[in-house]
Amino acid sequence: MIGNDVIDILQSRKESNWRRKGFIEKIFTLDEQLLIAGAADPEIMVWILWSMKEAAYKVYNRQTKIREYIPLRLVCSLVSQNHNSIKGSVICSGKTFHTSTILSQDYIHTIAISHFEDLNKIIEIEKQVTSKDKNGLPYLSNPFLNSIQFASISNHGRFEKVVTISSSRNCN
Amino acid sequence: MNKEEIIAKLKLIIKPYTTNTEAYDNLTEDTDFINDLSINSANLVDIILDIEEAFDVVIDNTDMERMLDVKTAVEIIETKLAQK
Repeated sequence: MIGNDVIDILQSRKESNWRRKGFIEKIFTLDEQLLIAGAADPEIMVWILWSMKEAAYKVYNRQTKIREYIPLRLVCSLVSQNHNSIKGSVICSGKTFHTSTILSQDYIHTIAISHFEDLNKIIEIEKQVTSKDKNGLPYLSNPFLNSIQFASISNHGRFEKVVTISSSRNCN
Repeated sequence: MNKEEIIAKLKLIIKPYTTNTEAYDNLTEDTDFINDLSINSANLVDIILDIEEAFDVVIDNTDMERMLDVKTAVEIIETKLAQK
């Protein structure tokens, strides 16, 4: 299973005031609030953690079919971090989702997956090759393998990211 | 405050966060904040904070988890107002 979330940084500044009273407390756990307070750039950390929660929620929602607004129950940890990439995990209701976040000057993009080994198999695809199932969730059909692959689509501001887990059989 | 008054007040709160004017103009109890009004999920927390201010209530985490459509929001606001 896969989920992704892209945040257009300029768009987020137009849409959200993360410094608003109560905003941080309603959506971030105490540990996450400490990460934000201690970050070199707190604004970017807010949106890194938010995109991790959103990407992980998409996997959670796909697995459980439960729709709910649960930012505080999607608990983020950062595993490793360099200047433009962050690996982390999000735990929700006993399930662990592994995340990979790319930072660019203009956007933050997180991919969450349920199986750790799939993190190396993520590919970006064109939206046109995806279809939507009866729940409105995107997938990629593969007529040669007579199978479907889950896909995830995220739009925000100037950006659209469409991802799937590549099937190793496709490489043959 | 009756249900119609709550919905009217809620509608004003929602306005700045929706880009879907058609769904907004035709808002009913069944309107979903994300699926129908295309509200960004990061702005749902703004709506919750605005509700807290406008109605002078506190929305706790359990209530927040269900706050996805007009009907549930109205139910939660009604319950909170009755507790005052």
